Amino acid sequence: MRRRRATAESSLLSRRAAALVCGLAFVLSACGGANAGPGTTASAPVSGGELTVAVDSEPVSFDVHVSPQDITGEILRHVVDSLVSVDADGRFTPWLASSWDVAPDLKSYTFHLRDGVKFTDGTPFDAAAVKANFDRIANPATKSQLAASLLGPYAGTEVVDPRTAKVSFTAPFAPFLQGASTPYLGFYSPKTLADNADKLGGGGAVEVGTGPFTFTEYTKGQNLVLTRNADYNWAPTGAAHTGAAYLDKLTVRFLSEDSVRVGALTSGQVQVARAISPVDVKNLEADQSVGLLKNDVPGGNYNIYLNASKAPFDDPLVRKAIQRGIDLDQAVKTVYFGQYKRAWSPLSPSTTGYDATLENSWPHDAAEAAKLLDQAGWTGKDADGYRTKNGARLVVKWPVMPPPYLREQRDVLGQAIQADLKKLGVEVVRDQPDIGTYIKQVYGGQTDFTDYSWNRFEPDVLWLFFNSASQPGKGGQNATFTQDAELDQLTESARGSADPAARAGAYAKVQRRATVDLALGTRSTRR
Amino acid sequence: MIRPLLRGAAHRVLAALAVLLGAAGLAFAALQLIPGDPVAIILGPATQASAQVQAAIRAEYGLDRPVLGQFLHYLGRLATGDLGRSYQLQRQVVDLIGDQLGPTAELALAALVLAVAISVGSAIATAGRRRGLKAVASGWELLAVSSPPFWVGILLLTVFSFTLRWFPVSGAEDFSALVLPALTLALPVAGVLSQVLREGLEAALAEPFAVTARARGLSRTAVRARHALRHAAVPLVTLTGWLTGSLLGGAVLVETVFGRPGIGALTLQAVTNKDMPLVIGLVLLSALVFVVISTLVDLLYLVVDPRLRTR
Amino acid sequence: MRRTPRAAVVLCGLIVVVLALAAVAPGLFTSVSPIEADPVNALRPPGGGHWLGTDELGRDVFSRVVHGARSSLSVGLGAILVAVTAGALLGIAAALGGGVADTVLMRLADVLLSLPELMIALLVIAVLGPGTGNTMIAIAVSLVPGYARMVRAEALVVRRSGYVEAAVGLGLPRPVLIARHVLPNALGPLLVLATVGFGTAIIAVSGLSFLGLGARPPAPEWGTMLSSGRKFLAVAWWTAVFPGAAITLAVVSVNVVGRRLQAAFTKRTSA
Repeated sequence: MRRRRATAESSLLSRRAAALVCGLAFVLSACGGANAGPGTTASAPVSGGELTVAVDSEPVSFDVHVSPQDITGEILRHVVDSLVSVDADGRFTPWLASSWDVAPDLKSYTFHLRDGVKFTDGTPFDAAAVKANFDRIANPATKSQLAASLLGPYAGTEVVDPRTAKVSFTAPFAPFLQGASTPYLGFYSPKTLADNADKLGGGGAVEVGTGPFTFTEYTKGQNLVLTRNADYNWAPTGAAHTGAAYLDKLTVRFLSEDSVRVGALTSGQVQVARAISPVDVKNLEADQSVGLLKNDVPGGNYNIYLNASKAPFDDPLVRKAIQRGIDLDQAVKTVYFGQYKRAWSPLSPSTTGYDATLENSWPHDAAEAAKLLDQAGWTGKDADGYRTKNGARLVVKWPVMPPPYLREQRDVLGQAIQADLKKLGVEVVRDQPDIGTYIKQVYGGQTDFTDYSWNRFEPDVLWLFFNSASQPGKGGQNATFTQDAELDQLTESARGSADPAARAGAYAKVQRRATVDLALGTRSTRR
Repeated sequence: MIRPLLRGAAHRVLAALAVLLGAAGLAFAALQLIPGDPVAIILGPATQASAQVQAAIRAEYGLDRPVLGQFLHYLGRLATGDLGRSYQLQRQVVDLIGDQLGPTAELALAALVLAVAISVGSAIATAGRRRGLKAVASGWELLAVSSPPFWVGILLLTVFSFTLRWFPVSGAEDFSALVLPALTLALPVAGVLSQVLREGLEAALAEPFAVTARARGLSRTAVRARHALRHAAVPLVTLTGWLTGSLLGGAVLVETVFGRPGIGALTLQAVTNKDMPLVIGLVLLSALVFVVISTLVDLLYLVVDPRLRTR
Repeated sequence: MRRTPRAAVVLCGLIVVVLALAAVAPGLFTSVSPIEADPVNALRPPGGGHWLGTDELGRDVFSRVVHGARSSLSVGLGAILVAVTAGALLGIAAALGGGVADTVLMRLADVLLSLPELMIALLVIAVLGPGTGNTMIAIAVSLVPGYARMVRAEALVVRRSGYVEAAVGLGLPRPVLIARHVLPNALGPLLVLATVGFGTAIIAVSGLSFLGLGARPPAPEWGTMLSSGRKFLAVAWWTAVFPGAAITLAVVSVNVVGRRLQAAFTKRTSA
């Protein structure tokens, strides 16, 4: 499933905020005092200086139109700008578009572009550039793994005049503005798209955008360097700082080992470290020279989806039993040292449309779970203590992703869940196949549990999770493998509506329906 | 005089090429044995790609050809130095290896120097001396060869980086970051070298020339360092292959523990992702390194020791 | 040949016996489950009910180290047995077959010997995928060429020796010759080598597990435990220290015993 950023806390504000302060987000958000460098929160920022940031994962591809990775978007956020931005209250604010009109049927959006914006290769930013970028994303040959989904039912972009671009869709598409604010729908120079489209995945100087930094160099496995774009003068409206970035140079180092990243931070080799492991939080909190930033990520929590299309989860009683039989409170508390909240809904609490009434609505109850399994007919016991029905053991297939994709001790949390279900008489089988086999099994609907998190500021992620058109075999994400008329209707109508109250109502219903027995929200994600 | 030398050299170079071809064939055979769909591997775990996109990738990588066609295609490309593109990283394998070679070469070289220094020091200090000293020497040698390198690395990291903060915990950027990884990689190698050297030294010290040298008034240590060591070092050369292998293989573990970039880290990434073009490139690389080093050592021997030329 | 003090050899021999017992019957040492999680009591330091402490999910570290002996040692032993058997068969086949068979097998061995053992193991895992069984096969494959070489050399010596020539002269069929003479002669040094190789194999097994390619958690395996324990070094050193110490202890003991056997064997044959 989609690679998501390591949660945990410290270091970065959200992607959007990072853009607002033109790259200084790294400094402001993290270790204010570590080396009293530029951007120390206590004193007024001064221009100049360098900053080194340690991150936990390395982009597989740097092409922001292709890659689904959070880390790619996060790094390229400094290099490419978007049409609109999102402020702290979740409102859309002007960025490369100074204003926009939304058609009443939500099938087209007309953007009036800002004047005087230039790519770092000197090419002016205009409506033709918008069209070139969106057309490229939507083109199947680009092999876009995320950006294309943000364009939804994209029909095309019309260059009304050099300063006006009209983006059209074949169906009403309310989530578009949110997608347009992400770096994944950011803009590369049309010149680099024409000359270097196939080299964008490799990073380096070919990544030409309009952003506050230029991408100067990249060494795989080690680091990349971003250099200030001195001409930058088009920060989003309402940004804390406008004009060129304060920093001359921003170095990003790839340190995948948690302990190594923290060690680099405390020894002053880097000024900011991202994705701090919960086990290190206590020590860092005690360290006066390091500031810690915790931030809940909006979108889908780290959830477990139950495959209701086959045995044993085609029986709602078994699904319900599993849900009540896991002591998530204790598991999340232990594995994450109390740094994460357990989740009650598939949607993260920091997402608009989150339904807080679900909280505490399905607490752990082993006795109830056992009763439900008895009712469902799983009453036999085999030699290993597992439940059986008609001689067959109650087995849940739940493969583990291979090491490079496995993050945040999800495997350890999985072991806790496995242990709880064992007590209930349910065997959880956790193989660790290679990624090819993993995808084949999971997307082919052969497994019973599927776990993933999905970071997005939009409750429209619920369409991705539960609409039956979002089939995993066809590029979708609905790992429940069911067709539920109610869920289809709700996610579809919310997507086609511009009324916030109506959307919130529909999304609340989706969450309640899903939480009955389709998805286990396990815990919030954090960064 | 020259002709047998050339013939001997030609013989060895040909043998080296045969080994390389064998390694290429082996690697390709491995590729064919893999279950699973390479297209899924190319796309990674979070794909939203349609069947259309998958077909495009299949055609692009030549995965739609029959096996024999793929093999010939592959050999032809290999001959021109084209190792293909990494499925996962979307870059030329040659470039990827080129990028990562530096840090690993640095690490291996530093480890080699350290290992030789430690073992020579230990051997000179302890060979033919009192029992107690020898027991200490064989004790540390045994511990060094018996402790897994990742475990040693973790201990060193805990003591010297996290607790004492003498060395940085990460990176390949300056010299101080090299010390602990090099030491970790060097210790097991030093354990074996030291043992071989010490036994050689003891044998050499018993030879008449050592006694003569002592009689000429040379100090005990000078005899050890100058004369006996030279004799003892001869069997070391035969350990070249083992040495190369230990350093290359050990790099995988050491780079993982210390979070260093390099060939080892790249290898692990390639293996866990079944990124076969990359795995094959790395297998060929290690065969090449081995073959080049041992051929060089062989040729050196030919020059030095005329008795070997006849074969 | 240097002599390890007798007391040390005896001690190491005892340790090997204890480890073997732990592998065969872990119940003799502990009745606590190595798998059962107890999240409320996670990362408890050594002492009290858990004399080596508990791990990140509250599992008993002592029990896991004891039970870990089984997976770590059995995979290493399995790899050595497979490697020795395959090596012996291939070596004898090469020596007796001669000609093309010999050339092909030995060139193949050359190719494999030109690669670091870990590299071969990783290549095999890339093909077969990770997991305990595959780890065993991978390590075995990486060791086979060395053993095949050795057995071939030994077999050639035996084949050319006077008594075998005499036996051929007496009209004995080849298979009988192999069974009677070549095998017993090659077997001795092979078994000694295997004992010494066992230590290497244990390190290799735990190394692959450490890299995340071997046994899957929650199964207790020393390398796997070390790998998950190192994340907690700063707050709970015991989760990584004890499994690591177990590996070193096991390998040291096996090596000391193996070398002693080797020394005894060399003495016997050279005497």
